[in-house]
Amino acid sequence: MNKTLVMLSAILALTASSLAGNISGKLSGVTGVSVVYVDTIAGKTFPPPEQHPVMNQKGLAMVPHILVVQAGSTVDFLNSDKVAHNVFWPSVQSGSKKGPGHNLGTWPQGDKRSFKFEQAGVASILCNVHPEMSGYLVIVPTPYFAQTDSSGAYKIDNVPDGQYTLTAWHEGSKAQSKPVAVAGDAKADFTLSK
Amino acid sequence: MSRSRTVLLALAVFVCTAAQSSFAIPAFARMYGTSCSTCHIDFPKLNDFGKAFKDAGFKFPKDDDSFVKIPPVMLGAPAQKEIWPKAIWPGVIPGLPPISVRYATFFQVLSKNRNNFNSPTPAIGDFIPRTDFQDGTLTLLMAGSFGSGVSYWIDDDIAAGGSGAAGGMGDAWLKFNLSNVFKLPNDALSLRVGQFELDLPWSQARTWNLSGWDIFDQPNVGTGADFVNNSFAIASGTQGVELSGGHSYGGYHYSVAVVNQNTSGTAPGPANVGSGGDGFFSDSNFKDLYGRVSYRVNLERDAESRKGIQAAGATGPHDHTYVELGAFGFYGRSVQRFDTGTAILTAREPFYRIGAHAAFNYRTFNLFGAYMYGHDKNLVLNTAGDGLASGQPVHFGGGFVEADYMALPWMMTSLRWDSVNSASDRLNGVDGAGFFSAFHSTRTRITPGVQFLIHPNIKAAFEYQIRPEQVVTDPTTGDIVTGPFRTNSAVAGLDFVF
Repeated sequence: MNKTLVMLSAILALTASSLAGNISGKLSGVTGVSVVYVDTIAGKTFPPPEQHPVMNQKGLAMVPHILVVQAGSTVDFLNSDKVAHNVFWPSVQSGSKKGPGHNLGTWPQGDKRSFKFEQAGVASILCNVHPEMSGYLVIVPTPYFAQTDSSGAYKIDNVPDGQYTLTAWHEGSKAQSKPVAVAGDAKADFTLSK
Repeated sequence: MSRSRTVLLALAVFVCTAAQSSFAIPAFARMYGTSCSTCHIDFPKLNDFGKAFKDAGFKFPKDDDSFVKIPPVMLGAPAQKEIWPKAIWPGVIPGLPPISVRYATFFQVLSKNRNNFNSPTPAIGDFIPRTDFQDGTLTLLMAGSFGSGVSYWIDDDIAAGGSGAAGGMGDAWLKFNLSNVFKLPNDALSLRVGQFELDLPWSQARTWNLSGWDIFDQPNVGTGADFVNNSFAIASGTQGVELSGGHSYGGYHYSVAVVNQNTSGTAPGPANVGSGGDGFFSDSNFKDLYGRVSYRVNLERDAESRKGIQAAGATGPHDHTYVELGAFGFYGRSVQRFDTGTAILTAREPFYRIGAHAAFNYRTFNLFGAYMYGHDKNLVLNTAGDGLASGQPVHFGGGFVEADYMALPWMMTSLRWDSVNSASDRLNGVDGAGFFSAFHSTRTRITPGVQFLIHPNIKAAFEYQIRPEQVVTDPTTGDIVTGPFRTNSAVAGLDFVF
């Protein structure tokens, strides 16, 4: 009985892997971290992860500077500095649309505040005490996303076979989208400009 | 120095200070990688965090090291402390030279009937222009911390008063935080040594207004019947030592200073004494004394917020809602020489200034004011002409009330009332000594203003100084000797720091 179950599991795993692939490629024209993600898939929804991603405020900086989360995620904003910080975002930009902004208030070291981001888009995270502080929250509609490395390369794992729209975002650049067909491994390169 | 020259000097000081120098320190912004607005409401006006930064000796009040983006250069490993006195106590210097530069320039427009100030007969007086570009001021600023509770400040106007013109040293001091040495509460005791502006409730040297508060620039120059020729103003810079402590963002604050005797009324050093060294700034062994005490009560209901450096609000930290009360006093002696014809007598005339101040703040609305009374003993020649006797003291009083409101984070509006009552000013004014001099015992102005932060380090400021219309009358005959005129002036300023 146990042997049968193990064999069935192995077959299922092999089948699943044959239906999912990776999207990889390279971004050029910009330096620094970029985000690449599979855009909204018609008719499909994805449960948000239970784990709360954290954006920290440390040394008068947002850490990480860019945080990618799936729509529906609850993000924890932590203050690790011995000065009070505030968190607000003027809007959530999605293409040409602007969703409402929000001010979470002010809190001291060690405290955190949480917020659930339902809609996909990009929120510029700011502190109204220290105007030089800046972070970006990239809220993506699917769990298929990746950040580029220092060379601009990226790889999104476990993307089911299918036709998708792939979007690349970089701070200060216009986001760029292109169709991509995934059947096993797929490649998609982008050239962004400031 | 003759009385009329002293009056002219005092008025020149007044006119020059109508466009005040002021400071913010971009070197700190570089060092900590943070914006000017971390410490300033509208530079150089400090917010509560900026006050705490200053109180802590130009350091973040807590965990300073974790905020420094440009690490300092170690002048000895911290562990060297363990073997002291067999090693020099270690310190640090800034990783980059802490030099900042500020430039400010001004433009003013005066009232149409300004030239009625001049009596039509018997001579044509000075021409008062309708508009005037003022001399710019270029200032170098250096300030910071050397570690172990030692902080420093130097500011110098490299050029003031026109192209290539020399300026002068402003403040230049070292400050030692002695709280740890004597195991006192944090920032309870500091010693400042050098040249500095007295610890006024609001710094005149670093005011955010285009023109300084009149009462802080008020000298006390008696009339021809008096022997008081004291050009000392409470905002004058001086040299000495100061003990201070407390926190200006809440609770108590105090300072006690022993400073050089002011030398108005005579040359600072006898002509027959060569200054092979540093020369002499004083004319007697006496040193002037200054003290100030204040207490500020933060009014937030929430205890944690009330005790914090800045109050936590729903949408961000802000300055506390507070009430502050304080008092200050100065005691000194000014020197006068009397040439009796047969001998020169020296009168060291005691004088004092005493004042009180109050402030109220609610978020971005700040209401504050001060009153100060000045009194100079008036030593005159006795009837025999061979000694000194007490005459009628020469005194003045006055103050100001100012309301500042940050209408937007980049726009501050202000309204100010200044008033100085000095009978001798009025009497001296009849001599035609100056356009802005008083022709009434009470010199009053109302000054609305607005300031715009174009960037956190660039500011455009405007103010309109409204003074009552007046005429000059001869105090003896009561005759009117000029047409009615106003000394209203609109002043625009532009300054930037980097």
